[in-house]
Parts: sequence; C-alpha cells; structure tokens
Amino acid sequence: MNGGRESEVLHFSWLHVDRVDMLVDELKFTMDETVQMAVDDARSGRSDTVDLNDSTLQVDISDALSEREKVKFTVHTKTTLPDYNKPEFSVVRQHEEFIWLHDRFDENEDYAGYIIPPPPPRPDFDASREKLQKLGEGEGSMTKEEFNKMKQELEAEYLATFKKTVAMHEVFLTRLAQHPIFRTDHNFKVFLEYEQDLSVRTKNKKEKVEGLFRSINRSTDEILLAATQKDVDDYFEKEKGFLLEYHAAIKDSTLKADKMTQAHKSVADSYIKLSTGLSQLGTIEGPRLEKFINKVSDTFEKARKVEGRVASDEDLKLSDTLRYYVRDGSAAKDLLYRRLRCLANYEQANKNLDRARAKNKDVHAAELAQQNACERFEHMSARAKEELNSFKTRRVAAFKKNLIELAELELKHAKAQAQLLKNCLQALQEE
Amino acid sequence: MADSREPPPLFNDDDDSRKDDDNDDLFTSAVQSPVSELTTPEDQTKQEGAGDPLTSPPPATSFPPDPSGGDRPDLFESCEEPSVGGFSSVPLEQPAEGGGTQQVSTDAQDPPPTPPTTPSVGSLVEIPLIVDTDQDLQPSTSSSSSLTRPDFTLFDTTPDTSETPVSSPDILSPPTTSNTSTSTTTSAQELSASPPSSSALLDLSMTLPQELSSEPPANLVDASSVEPAVMSSFITPAEEASVLDAAAPTNDDDDDAAAAAAIPTNLAGEDPALSSEEALVTVYDSETPEDPPLPASNILPPMGAPLTPPVAPITPTATPNLTPNVTPAAPTPVTPVAAARPSAEQLESESGDEFIEISISDPQKIGDGMSSYMAYKVTTKTNIPYFRKKHWSVTRRFSDFLGLHGKLVEKHLHSGRIIPPAPEKSAIGTTKIKLGSDKSSDSSSTDFIERRRASLERYMNRTAAHPTLRSDPDFREFIELDAELPRATQTSALSSAGVLRLFNRVGETVNKMTFKMDESDQWFEEKTQQIENLDAQLRKLHAAMEGLVAYRRELATSTASFAKSAAVLSSVEEHSALSRALHQLAESTERTHTIHHAQADADFYHLSETTKDYIHLIGAVKDVFHERVKTFQTWQHSQTMLAKKREAKAKAELAGRMDKVQQAQDEVAEWEAKVERSQEEFDRISRAIKKEMEQFDIVRVKDFKDMLVKYLEALMTSQQQIIKVWETFLPEARAIS
Repeated sequence: MNGGRESEVLHFSWLHVDRVDMLVDELKFTMDETVQMAVDDARSGRSDTVDLNDSTLQVDISDALSEREKVKFTVHTKTTLPDYNKPEFSVVRQHEEFIWLHDRFDENEDYAGYIIPPPPPRPDFDASREKLQKLGEGEGSMTKEEFNKMKQELEAEYLATFKKTVAMHEVFLTRLAQHPIFRTDHNFKVFLEYEQDLSVRTKNKKEKVEGLFRSINRSTDEILLAATQKDVDDYFEKEKGFLLEYHAAIKDSTLKADKMTQAHKSVADSYIKLSTGLSQLGTIEGPRLEKFINKVSDTFEKARKVEGRVASDEDLKLSDTLRYYVRDGSAAKDLLYRRLRCLANYEQANKNLDRARAKNKDVHAAELAQQNACERFEHMSARAKEELNSFKTRRVAAFKKNLIELAELELKHAKAQAQLLKNCLQALQEE
Repeated sequence: MADSREPPPLFNDDDDSRKDDDNDDLFTSAVQSPVSELTTPEDQTKQEGAGDPLTSPPPATSFPPDPSGGDRPDLFESCEEPSVGGFSSVPLEQPAEGGGTQQVSTDAQDPPPTPPTTPSVGSLVEIPLIVDTDQDLQPSTSSSSSLTRPDFTLFDTTPDTSETPVSSPDILSPPTTSNTSTSTTTSAQELSASPPSSSALLDLSMTLPQELSSEPPANLVDASSVEPAVMSSFITPAEEASVLDAAAPTNDDDDDAAAAAAIPTNLAGEDPALSSEEALVTVYDSETPEDPPLPASNILPPMGAPLTPPVAPITPTATPNLTPNVTPAAPTPVTPVAAARPSAEQLESESGDEFIEISISDPQKIGDGMSSYMAYKVTTKTNIPYFRKKHWSVTRRFSDFLGLHGKLVEKHLHSGRIIPPAPEKSAIGTTKIKLGSDKSSDSSSTDFIERRRASLERYMNRTAAHPTLRSDPDFREFIELDAELPRATQTSALSSAGVLRLFNRVGETVNKMTFKMDESDQWFEEKTQQIENLDAQLRKLHAAMEGLVAYRRELATSTASFAKSAAVLSSVEEHSALSRALHQLAESTERTHTIHHAQADADFYHLSETTKDYIHLIGAVKDVFHERVKTFQTWQHSQTMLAKKREAKAKAELAGRMDKVQQAQDEVAEWEAKVERSQEEFDRISRAIKKEMEQFDIVRVKDFKDMLVKYLEALMTSQQQIIKVWETFLPEARAIS
C-alpha cells in the first residue's frame, strides 16, 4: 500500500502541487470574506470595544506548499500594532501549529466567555489519493483519452481540496486577527511573529490519553450539567436548546449535502465515459453516424465540465457553509457549556457561603469567592450574550451571501448547459 | 428447426420450397403473405359470432395451421416454378406489384403441379359462385384486383359452418391426398418429408396439403350450400358486420389480391364494391390457369393503382385517433420509441403510408403465488390494410411474447432474417412479483414491471417494423386474436423444451467456436468484423450508461434526503428570514430531486435500454450470420458427399459392376442435386442477409440518432426546469435580512 502510494506519487508529479495563488483563483473559498463581513457587522454593533480599523492587524496566507503529507502555510501579517517588531512579515506554519494556537485560546480561562473560532480541519487528501489509486488500477480498462480526462478531473479535485484547506486555515487566523480581544493575545503574536519553528510536536501518548480523559470528563460534566443545572436566564436556556437542535440538524444537512455533491460529481464524471464511448462508437459506425455522434460526444464532454462546476460550486457554497457552521455552532455550544459550568461554580459558591454563614466560619473568604464567582458569571453571561448574537448575525450573513451565490451559480450553469444542449440539437437538426 | 436442416438427408424438396417461400415473402414484403394468417382471428370471431362451439381453445389451436397453410401454397408453388423467376428482381422494387406477381404466379402455377384436380376443383367451386354474384360483378372482371377472394372465402366459411374438422389438417389431408393423386405429389412429399423436422415444420407442411387438397373437396361439397350464406353476410348493409365478414374472407386468401381487397374493407361501407370484387376474384381465378404469364404483367398496374389510393386516405383518419397515451404506469419516455417507429418502418416497407404502432399497457397480475403471471394489454394502431381494424387491443401474458419470438425464430431465422429478440426472462424479478402481495408498493417490483412493459413495447414495435415479421401469421394472430393464446409451454426455463433448447444452444456455441468458415465474401468478412466491434463497443457504452443511471439515481436520492434535512434545519433555524430561505431551499432541492429522478429515468429508458436492445439485436444478427455459416456447412458437406459418391461410382465403374454403377449414378445425381440446392440455399441466405443488414443498418443509425436527439432534448428540459427552480429560489435568498 505504501509502496504503491509512493510510486503513484512519483508517477503523478502533480501531487506536489506547489504554489497556490489564492488571490487569482476563482475557486477561492469564500468563507474568509464571509466571516470578515460578519465580523464587521458584529463589530459595528458593538460600541464598547476599541475602535479598530482593518489595517491594525491583517493576516492572510500568501502561500501554501504541499509536501507529501505535510502542508506548509506561509502566514503573512501586516500590522500597525506597536507590540510587533515590524509592520509586515511572514512566517511558515504547519497545521499542527494552528491547532496548538487554537488550544491555547480554548484553554485560556480569560476567553471562556467568547466563542473560540473553530480550528481548521486537518489537511486531508486521502480521498483524492484513494481515487487516484483506483484510477491507476483501472488504467488498463480505459482508453488513454478517458484516463487523461479522469486524471485531470482528479487533479482539479485535488487542487480544490487543497485550496479549501488553505482557506480554512486563513479563516481561522482572520477571525482571530479581527477579534478585539483575541488579536492582542500573546500566543497569537508568537504564532504570527516567531520566525522559527514553534516546535509544536504532536501530542504524545500520555497527553493523548489525558486529552481523551479530559474530554470524556468534560462531556459527562456537560451532560450532567445540562440535566441538573437549571439556568437562571431564559435567554440562555433557549439558546442552549436551539444550539443543540441546530447543531444536530446542520450536521445532518452537511452530511447529506456532501453526499449530494459527491453524487453530482460522479454524474459529471460518468459523462466522460459516455462521451468517449460514443465517439468510439462513431468511429465504428463510420460516416453515416460518425459526424452526428461526434457532435453529441462533444456536447457530453462540455456538459460534463458544466456539471462538474455545478458540483464543485454546490460544494463550495452549500456544503462548506454548512460545514463551517457545524464547527462554529459547536464552538458556541462550548461557550454555553463553559458558562453553565461557571453558573454551577457560582451556585456552589453561594452554597458554600450559606454553609460558611451557618457555621460562621471563613465567611469572608466564602463571601469573596462568592463575589468572584458572581462577577465572573455575570461578566461571562454578558459576553456570551454578545457572542451569541454576533454568531447569529454572522451566520445569517454568511448563509445569505452563500445561498445567493449558490442560486446564481446554479442558474448560470443550468443556463449554460441548456444553451449548450440547444446548440447541439440545432446543429444536429441542420445535418 | 434450424438443426433439422443440418443433416443433409433432410434436404428435401419441401425444404427447398419452404425456403423459397420465405424468400418470396421477404421480397414481396408485407402485403403478401400476411393475409393468410388473418384467418385465425377472423374465423375465431366469426365463430364466436355464430355461437359456434369453436370459441373454446381447441379451434384456436387447430386454426393456426390454417393460416400458415395459406402461406404455403403460393410460396410453394412459386418455388416450384423458379422459371417464373420474377420473384427476385421485379417485386423487389415495388412490393405491391411484387405481391401482384406473386399472386398471379401462384394462381398460374397452381395448375402445373396439380393439373387434374386443383384447377378443376377451382372451376367447380367458382362456377356456382359466379352464378350467384356475377350479375353485378362480371363486367369489371378485367380489373381483377382481388380475384382470389371468393373461393377462399368459401373455404373459409366452409370450415366454420359446415365442417369444423377441416381445420384439423391431419385428419383431412390424408384422405384428400389420396383423392387428388397427382396434384398432391408435392404436398405428399412434403408430408412425408416433414415428419423428421421439428413439430413446427410439421405444422406448416401439414397445412399445406390441407389447403391444397382439402379445400377443393370442401368447396365441392359445400360450395353451393354454404355460399349463399356467405354472400348474404357480405351483402348485409350493416357496415360493421359486413366489414368484419368481408375482412374475414380476405384473411384466408394467400395473396395480395386479398390484401388489396382488404383495403376497402378497412374503409368500411364499400361492401357492394367488395362483394363485387370478391366475385371478380373468383372469375379471375378460374381464368388464370389458362394464361399464366400474361396476367402477371397485365394485372399489376391496375393492382397497384387501386391499392394506393385507399391507403392514403386511411392514414389521416387513423392518425388523429392516436392517443399514444397508453402508458399509465410510466411517465417515462418509452412511447417516443414507438412513435419513432413508423418512420423507420417506412424505410423498410417502402410503402410510405403504412404504419403500425403497438403499445403495451396495464400490466396486471393474474392469479396468486407461483402460478400467477403478468398479463399486459397489447394495443395496436395501424392502417395496414390486412388488419381488420385500425385500433384494438388484446391481452397477452409474458410467456406469450416469448412464445411469439420462438415461433418467429423458428420460421424466419433460417431465411436470414434478423428477428428482434424478446425481453429476457428474469426469474428473480418474476418470482418477487409472484410472491409479492397484490398491492405491493415495492418500488423495485414496480420498476421491474415498468421496465419489462417498456421492453415488451419496444420488442413489439421492432418486430412490427419488419414487413415480413409483422405479416407473419403468428404475429398477426398474436396481436389480433381476441382470446387467450395457447399456452407457450416451451418458454419456461424448466420445461423439457427449455432443457432441450439449452442443449441446442450449447451445441451451437461449440459449433460456432469450432467451425471457422473460409469467408469468400468480402462483404461478410467486413460485416462480421464490424458487428463484433459494434458489439464490444455497445457493451462498453452500455456499461457507461448504466453507471450514469446509477449515479444519477444516487444523486436523486441524496438530493431528496438533503431536501428533508434542509427542511428540518429550516424549522430549527431561529432567524425567521433565514428559516424561510432554508425552507425554500428545501423545496427547491425537493424539486430538483424530482427533476434528477426523471432525468435518471430518461437516462435509463432513452439511452441504456435502447443500447441494451441493440446489444441483443446484434446477438440476433450474429445468429443470422451463424445460420449462414450453417448453410455453408451443409453445402460443404453435400460437396464432400458428392465427391465421395463420384468416387464410389468411379470405383464401381472400374470394377465393372454395372448394377452398382447404376445405384452410384443415382446417388451421384441425388447429391448433385443436393449440392446445387444447398448452394442455392447458401446464395439465397447470403443475399437475404445482405438485404436485411442494409435495413438493419439504416434502422440502427436512425434509431441511434433518434435516441440521442431525444435524450439531449430530455437533458435540455431538465436543465430548463432547474433554471426555473433556482429562479424562484433566488429572490428568497435575497430576502434574507
């Protein structure tokens, strides 16, 4: 298996697709814009935060390089913030470092009241590789032309996945950079500025087990809290219910949308075989049918491309929007959990205070703790409310934008295809 | 049947003649032979009308021979007189005329083989007839178009009214053969020769004598008595009845004349003319013996002339009636195929205005459990004159279709005809349906039924498009006989016949693999190669199409499930405008689901199934090619045998054994004849195949073009629908605030 993959990689040197120009590419993942827009919207509604303009901290990924299993992102920063040494600089980061950064935010108690931007998904080219492998195996059974077309399709697919991966990482950073609190985070600064490798190793076994344990702990706690802790605030109670339901629903939709786009892609791909099969038939049939069939075959070939675009656009505009909000929604859920935990702590503090008062012992300490917890909880609730509202605005804006684009693209492609078919039919009639 | 012809000994006169017949059929096309077969349904109905006990199955079984017998005589005779020779060139160009010639020659030839009896009988019969009818008719005798009719009518009616036994040829023919000693020589031969061949052959040959010999006696006996009744029935003003009756007689005729006469019948309300014509026929019949060659040329023009005009008016009237909406179960595009057919058929039949369109509908499960079966309504619309109605339907079960195919193969394969293959039997699908409950809404079984319905429809229309096949008595009986067909037992895979067939097939395959024929004909060499390539390519293409269908179906189902999921999401979404938009999205995708689904059906019925049909048709073509190889083998065998016999003769001569020389001489002569015959046979099948292939190529190219155009249209429609869907969605998305 490994050997096979090795040779296959050598065979198709395109697997080392190297530089991806994110700006020119029309397949560019649009999430970043969306997020940016949403963030802008959210920000404008917030008066208490420091007044910022876009140029304070701008982060993008100017380059990405794929080497075997690893993808190296060149993170480019432009800033006016005084903390930074230079106004503009670039560093090379890998996926693991992004995850590290996310975990720092996630673990920071100070950020408990915020929705932590969801971490970018791991670069995953397995699907493409698998398909490539299959294609290589089936090489004998198809014509050269067919094979080349299939290969091209795969290349395009691979490239699209690659770009999407890059875009997701960029979105993560952009959201952090635009967040009034997160942008000032020290770890973030290090991530952006430190020129060396952050030497983030992947978690070792012990840590993994610990992590697993913690997450189990956490989820049982979450379930327990959800069951036992009565929320004092109806708003959050409602939000919690909504988010739970919403998360489940959108997760399901994402799954279904993925299946749909995949099937669409398969349909597009199957036009390849149809097209080549037809043109071969034309050759066999000879002059009586050849011209006719070739026209049809050409049409299928063109239709395939359109159909393929439909599939990839559906993927970009629909599936990816959904997918992003699965993760964002889950980040919001985490926020709610943290708040609930905080509430539980607060109530515990209340109880402790009551007990202390009853015993008349350590009352002051308990009072202090209770006060702290109260403040903490109230502060957190206020933050969370804000965050949840901005989550909603962000979501609605993103959906609006992407749904409109989806509809427009669908229309465009359907019209193109209808026209294509019409022209073909006309040409056939003239014959 | 085919096998029976392999062993040289079977190569008898009858065999030859039979082939001749078929060939003639081929050339003379639709008009000619078909007529005969109508007998059966006709008789049936008549009998029913008359309240005769014949409605019950037995007559049904006994009748089929009749029609085929009807076929026989003319063909038979024509072959006997190859000198008439005309069968080849002239008729080729103009089927109608060809029919004419055919008919004439038949009549003309009648006498030679059967000098003493038949003519005399004929005259005997006809004389009374003339007396009855000719008052009004005689003048127009010269026009002569449908001359044969009346006497046949007589025959026809005679069996019904007077003596049912006539219908069972086996009983009748022996005595008659003895009666008509000289005349029946040929038929007798046939009789004796046929037993070795398959049962079908038997049937055919048996009927021959019957027609030839039994009729005359029947006529003799009943001519006077029966005839009035017949005539009266003709003359009855009530149009329907008369049309029916009139049509009935026509069927029995073997000749185009009858067909020609049938046209008026279709037009209805021309009874007087009809009856007069019938009378004319008789007169003509009696005349023909006197000058065989002349009428041929003389009669042709008038024949052609009256023939065409009646046909023309029919088409316009018939077409409006066409509501090709017989497929309730399927919104699917199958009907287009049927619709496309007439034009294709025009190419074939060269008789522009003829069309026949068959639709299969109302699949129905009859019975319960494993003994249950599916019955289909077979609706035919046509303007072809030899069908007695323009629009009618019958009920047939699946095995009937297979039975029909079997019969057609038996009769026509050896003469080099490409017989459209019947849909495959699917044990699994059928069993599922059989065991399923009556109201099973199981989509897979409804799919199965619909698929089968559609393929049966395509099968019927393909067969009907072939001028010879559609005029075959069995085919016509199949679509016309308004009663249950005798059960085709041979179609079951488990029956003894099935096993036998399996053995045969294995044998054939071995033969195909082992015997390599040195192809002397470059055309065949190229064609064989082309067919092989085509076969491979079509299979590949079919696989690609199947893939497409599968993916599109998957797309449809996944779209549907996304639609459902989006609906859930919209109900959860708290932002009202977004929720509304998502709801719209759900509806839009739901609609795209329907579109994809329809498109998948189009993928399947337009592309995949047509291609599959062609893969099977290519199989039929291969069968025909193989049939030719078998003929070649027979020829080769005869040649080697001849060489052996010559050698034996030379040896005998050298040895000076005169007695043996004589015997050897006889044998040599016998084998020489056989060689000649088999060579002729080989040439004939080669010729026939070429002609068939020409047709096949034309139709195939046309079918493919049609298929692709239809498919592209369907695709375009889908895209247009998708445009509409998103156009309605777009404002909703924009409305999110």
